[in-house]
Amino acid sequence: MFDIFKNMVKEEWRMHSSLFGHRGFALFPVFIFLFTFFVSLVLPVFREIVTDAQIALGIHYFFLLLGCMIGAFGLMGREFMNRRFGQASLIAYSSRVLPVSERFIFANFLGKDIVYYFVLYILPFVAGFSLAAEFVPAGIFSIPSVLLTLVLTLSLSFVIGISTVFFLSTVYAHSGKISLFCLFIASILLLHISGNMNQNVLYSLPSLSFFLDPSVSKLLHSGILILVPSALSIIFLKIDFPQSQKSFSNSFSKLCRLLGSYRYAAFVAKDSLDLKRSEGGLGKVIFSFVLPLTLVWILLSALGRVMPALSTLTIFALVLGVLSSSMYNWLTEYDIFASYAFLPLKVSDMIKSKLNSYLFLNLIPLAILTLLALKNEPGSLIPSMLLFLTISLYMVAVLVYLTGLSPSTNLYNAKTFALYTLSVVPLLMLNIVLSMFGPYYSLVDLLLVPFALYLLGKGFEKWDGNNCQCF
Amino acid sequence: MIEVKGLSKFYGQTQAVDGVDLSIGKGELFGLLGPNGSGKTTMIKMLTGQIKPTSGTLRVHGINVLEDPLRVRELVGVIPEQETPPSFLTAEEYLHFVAKIRKMEHYEEACSKWFDFFDFADQKDSLCKDLSRGTRQKLMFAQAFLHEPELAIIDEPLINLDPVMQKKVKDFLKGYVNNGGTIFISTHILEIAKEICTSIGVIYRGKLVYTGRLNDPELQKRNFEGFFLDLVSRRKEISNDIMQKPTTEVPLPV
Repeated sequence: MFDIFKNMVKEEWRMHSSLFGHRGFALFPVFIFLFTFFVSLVLPVFREIVTDAQIALGIHYFFLLLGCMIGAFGLMGREFMNRRFGQASLIAYSSRVLPVSERFIFANFLGKDIVYYFVLYILPFVAGFSLAAEFVPAGIFSIPSVLLTLVLTLSLSFVIGISTVFFLSTVYAHSGKISLFCLFIASILLLHISGNMNQNVLYSLPSLSFFLDPSVSKLLHSGILILVPSALSIIFLKIDFPQSQKSFSNSFSKLCRLLGSYRYAAFVAKDSLDLKRSEGGLGKVIFSFVLPLTLVWILLSALGRVMPALSTLTIFALVLGVLSSSMYNWLTEYDIFASYAFLPLKVSDMIKSKLNSYLFLNLIPLAILTLLALKNEPGSLIPSMLLFLTISLYMVAVLVYLTGLSPSTNLYNAKTFALYTLSVVPLLMLNIVLSMFGPYYSLVDLLLVPFALYLLGKGFEKWDGNNCQCF
Repeated sequence: MIEVKGLSKFYGQTQAVDGVDLSIGKGELFGLLGPNGSGKTTMIKMLTGQIKPTSGTLRVHGINVLEDPLRVRELVGVIPEQETPPSFLTAEEYLHFVAKIRKMEHYEEACSKWFDFFDFADQKDSLCKDLSRGTRQKLMFAQAFLHEPELAIIDEPLINLDPVMQKKVKDFLKGYVNNGGTIFISTHILEIAKEICTSIGVIYRGKLVYTGRLNDPELQKRNFEGFFLDLVSRRKEISNDIMQKPTTEVPLPV
């Protein structure tokens, strides 16, 4: 009964550890623990500005978001695994060869994701947080029973995120583009009304409201929010095994013609076809980008009302820049350099081509930011745009330097992740403080542009010199 | 066309290629033979500048591969072992993509020629990920010869192809060499080498243990398979012997 579950957990562990060694990966939760511990030591400073409830709100929504993103990756990462591990045959995709139903495998997959990432993220996070609460005045967070509740409610938030994405993906599998369109419209609508939304709505997330005011009914609501979407996903599971070859007319040549004699035209055309034709397609953009952005904007709008000193748009531009760098991950998911190593190309050529596609994709967040700025703070449009572009460039430069063509896998190496965090978090903190003085103070970030370009140059050299064709 | 001196490659503690010297002239169809894991693919990756050797020198087309691997890959056509084309391009789009990377102009006709040659024009609009292994191999073959290189370095090119296609490919390779081209082919299938190669090299545990022309009277006298198996099994004994006496110099088989 538990064999599939156990093997799925083993498979996930081996997949990660085969990429950067057992020790490199085993240190990842240790890093999460240490990082949370040190950041939590400044909790008293935060508590001067925000209430305990608002801190709890931030943490719970963060784990909700994490659940959404891990769920989306688990469902849509098949081609990526195939490219990186050859024709990978993960247990999750093996109902055709195993004498068990797709539903049973899917239920195990859901369980595996919950347990695996609970150990990887939630447990070390709460452990680091709890330890820090022993050393500094941490309000309600220093009470042991509250911390135990936090383990439970963060897990609930995380699982709500996973089960919601699984449910949405099931709806998508049945209704295709119609559901995506509805989701997209809903996101836009939410972005539009978020300015007037009562912030109490945010506290209605059952796991969060249980944490703040425990009651059986709230726990039940959380359970319902997990079990109902999960059960519906399992009951209405639809897996499309390729029955026939898909045919497409030659869009590549058309796109190349459209892009003209531009040096990276062939790669940009190929990347756009990868995104369009791969599993998830446009859904990938909506699930892992537009939805989280909507959530972030709603949170920031609520935060802006209780802390008028914070410039919501400036911080949104900052977060947008950080989240945009995840688009570089999508672009690198479909290739490994080994597939091109026999052609007259260097690793840096591939990275540059991905950066060109990244540049094009950045038009999406730029458009979102522009619309939000025009609607809410037209005066902050220019500094917000500049801030977004600078942070996006800096973030992708850090990613390129540290992870080359494999960000989604290399970042799980504890050392790499530590370096990445150290390159990013202080900058974010500084910008949050600067935003309180006015939108134009963030223009100091423009100083990052030459550094980012230097880092990119160093990254190209580094990966060209790497004698491993895996990256 | 290919000049290799003292070529060695270590992967960590494992030596994949051990002091190989090799010279292949224009118009040769050279077959590198060897059992699985003997170092054939590593040789190809070094010749095309995909990996750096631990020691030794390589010149391809007169170009130092270590100094200018890109120029080598511009000139040479390569079929890598077991590599597949990108999943979400169609077969035709993939060939156009390679042509663009190779900065070819007017490549449409060249691409069509290959679809006709391999008789799979009906699948040119199918995504590469949906193609059978054999069809993917045809595609990899086509991309290697698309720019009509003077030298092609090909790793197990007939794998996954049906007998009809295998014959077609073998005829193509022979014709290619007759028209002045040079081919370096790596294979563990002896019949292929026997049928099409003009010269062969046998690599075993990273060492090049034999090189010679296929019309070598000494070789002609013997059964080809027997000669190869003899060579490899003798080397096995020799290498066991070496393990016991590390200072012994390995005599090359006559």
